[in-house]
Amino acid sequence: MKIEIKNLKKRFNDNFVLKDISLTIEKNKSTIILGQSGCGKSVLIKTIYQLFSFDDGLIFYDGKAKVDIDKFSMLFQYGALFDSLKISENIAFTDFINNKTNFNKKVISLMNDVGLDKSIFNKYPSEISGGMKKRVAFARALYKNPKVIFLDEPTTGLDPINSDKINELILKVITKRKITAVTITHDIKSAIKTGDHYYFIDKGIIQDKGDCKKILKTKNKAFKSFISGADFKQ
Amino acid sequence: MKFIENIGKALTSIFSNIGKFILFILFFFKYLFGPKFYFKNNIRYFLNVFVSSIPIIALTGIFSGMVLALQSYTGFSRFSAESAIPNVVVLTLTRELGPVLTGLMISARVGSSIAAEIATMRVTEQIDALKTLNTNYYNYLVTPRVLSLTLALPIFVTLVDFIGVMGGYIVSVHRLGFNDNLYLLNTIDFLKIGDYLSGIFKAFVFGFIISIVSCYCGLFSDKGAFGVGSATTNAVVISSILILSSNYFLTELFF
Repeated sequence: MKIEIKNLKKRFNDNFVLKDISLTIEKNKSTIILGQSGCGKSVLIKTIYQLFSFDDGLIFYDGKAKVDIDKFSMLFQYGALFDSLKISENIAFTDFINNKTNFNKKVISLMNDVGLDKSIFNKYPSEISGGMKKRVAFARALYKNPKVIFLDEPTTGLDPINSDKINELILKVITKRKITAVTITHDIKSAIKTGDHYYFIDKGIIQDKGDCKKILKTKNKAFKSFISGADFKQ
Repeated sequence: MKFIENIGKALTSIFSNIGKFILFILFFFKYLFGPKFYFKNNIRYFLNVFVSSIPIIALTGIFSGMVLALQSYTGFSRFSAESAIPNVVVLTLTRELGPVLTGLMISARVGSSIAAEIATMRVTEQIDALKTLNTNYYNYLVTPRVLSLTLALPIFVTLVDFIGVMGGYIVSVHRLGFNDNLYLLNTIDFLKIGDYLSGIFKAFVFGFIISIVSCYCGLFSDKGAFGVGSATTNAVVISSILILSSNYFLTELFF
């Protein structure tokens, strides 16, 4: 699914979080949204997902203004797994709450796809590690065979080895399943590894965009400063 | 000028919250049985609330009845009206103490847990996750909690009434020397079905108040640990105040 955003504005009370955002998410490609914490990245993807309304602008999904959000999925920053449900029930949540019982095979196949061992099938989220939680959340996001997947800082809170494993997993799955991916991150290494196109947001507007493989060659001062970790004053 | 501005801001905030709360109740009724009704989830939550609350309900009932018998004796013995103790115990419990004390105890035991659980779900983005999974959070979270408490509270009040009367019986017979048969006979003869039903009606209202206030406080909590803490405190304080104030108007209704 191709998603086009034109002059999007979103505010909370008097604070404009997104001042003027225009970008294109290409079908079956991996788009990376980069930016500092608090710059409005999460608000942007939640607005695209229609979890938030917006104040001005246009969003087109394959050229249409409306979309069935069942075609979307999201991997939340900290997994957002339901504590009171088992891992299998979390992954097959929509079937589980609708009293369908024949989801075990699909869950095991997905667990296998995301590199999870069957032994955690009946465990609760509190009984597994942070890296495993991300994988469970990823499996839950894949359960409904989405056309677009939104990944909110998928490597946050993970050590470099686990981050790398999650990046490889994301790349493998979205390529194999031909899913359009939108990833929020402030990890340049992850962006280069998993992305096709990037957009850099700062102060509520797009400051830079381009090919992920050429991120390090950017000429934009604000983005260069973001990459090097220096404080940039405009 | 700043002072007037602050008063204006506070008033705006109060009325905006009242408006939000009324809208929340209207949405609850709109989504009560649709678009989805998760029957199993509702039953599971009802049983969970019911089983976990029985011990405090039993303790509330027994000690209220026992204290009521002792205190009534202190007062009534001063003008030789000890024989009225069974009547006072049963009437006070069924009409007043049963529903009010049960409401306050359940607000502390269940209301706080509802608010804390939902506020934590909000902070950890589980509510957003529900939306992304095409699940209406009124159907999945609010309906089971409100229905369970509204239906469970009358049962709890019936238990408190019964256990409380038994507590009064134990103290009156074994401590104050009443005749056991006479005590029970007086209790049963004096109690009218209207007394019991007025308490049950109050229980329905209190159950609804506790659950809807707790769900609201949880869903609209601020972020972070402080938000969860405030949601829990607000849920208990607001529902307790609403229980006590609505109790007066309900008592006027059945007076």
